[in-house]
Amino acid sequence: MLKKIILVVLVIAIPLSFYLYKEYHRKPADLSSVQPAAKLNAGAFLDEYEKDEANANHRYLGKTIQVRGTITEIVKQQDTLANVMIGDTASMHKVSCLLDKHHIGLINQYKAGQQITIKGICTGFLMDVELNRCVIVEKE
Amino acid sequence: MKYSFFVILFTLLIFAAFGQPKYFTKTGKISFYSKSSMENIEAVNTKVVSVWDVASGQIEFAVLLKGFEFEKALMQEHFNENYVESDKYPKAVFKGIIENSKTIQLSGDNVSTVKVNGTLTLHGVTNPVSTNAVITVKSGVVAASCNFSITLADYKISIPSLVAEKINKKISIAVVIPEYQSMTTK
Repeated sequence: MLKKIILVVLVIAIPLSFYLYKEYHRKPADLSSVQPAAKLNAGAFLDEYEKDEANANHRYLGKTIQVRGTITEIVKQQDTLANVMIGDTASMHKVSCLLDKHHIGLINQYKAGQQITIKGICTGFLMDVELNRCVIVEKE
Repeated sequence: MKYSFFVILFTLLIFAAFGQPKYFTKTGKISFYSKSSMENIEAVNTKVVSVWDVASGQIEFAVLLKGFEFEKALMQEHFNENYVESDKYPKAVFKGIIENSKTIQLSGDNVSTVKVNGTLTLHGVTNPVSTNAVITVKSGVVAASCNFSITLADYKISIPSLVAEKINKKISIAVVIPEYQSMTTK
């Protein structure tokens, strides 16, 4: 009997508690190695949101989306936040990409007017379509 | 909701050339904090949109709930899936009026405390909210901040009974606008 109990503890309880511990302390995923749910041009992505926000949310909200387009502006705040605006300078709405704080460095190689590919979690549409925890995609 | 926001924004842009300034920002910060016996819950969102029309005192804030970042992934998932149901209700919006907005000193360095009354829509429920806010003007930069708290039950946000005792029913919310941009110059 005792042997059985010890066996149960070893086989189930230890891996389970290890799993729970890991799950509890899990950090939000780093998107570098995450396969995007969709790959789009910034213009097409914005178009979908401008035409039918509810439908676009249904398709993209909470998913990893990869967007390619022209950088209109790079905004840095207090060294820890960097936001890349992608789209058409003449358009009122842009794709606003907040970079993952562990992946900010790479943006220094880019400037406004250049093409860029970024993937991030789509959080919805306010004045711009927002992507969070973004990473720059160098090789497609 | 999207259109009403742009109608307001557009109207503000048209009238921006006249009279008192209109301010806006896309980089406001909202964080919330809940202290409990088991653990503290904290999240931050740095992409808050806000528009303030000084002449009428009208002020609006909008934030995407999926944009709140937590230290722990599991908390973030529970927040989105079980509590605010951000797939169904992606935004939270505050619309209100700053009392005596016109009399706030916006030239020179100045700190004013103002009263804000309005409504907060979250999780599909709208409730009145009243709070004091601080408007700071320093070297030409107009900034604002305020703190208030909400009760989860008021917004029909239910807590599973298993963890009910471990989660504080009141959530403290801090709003910080580091810099309002004037629409007259932009």
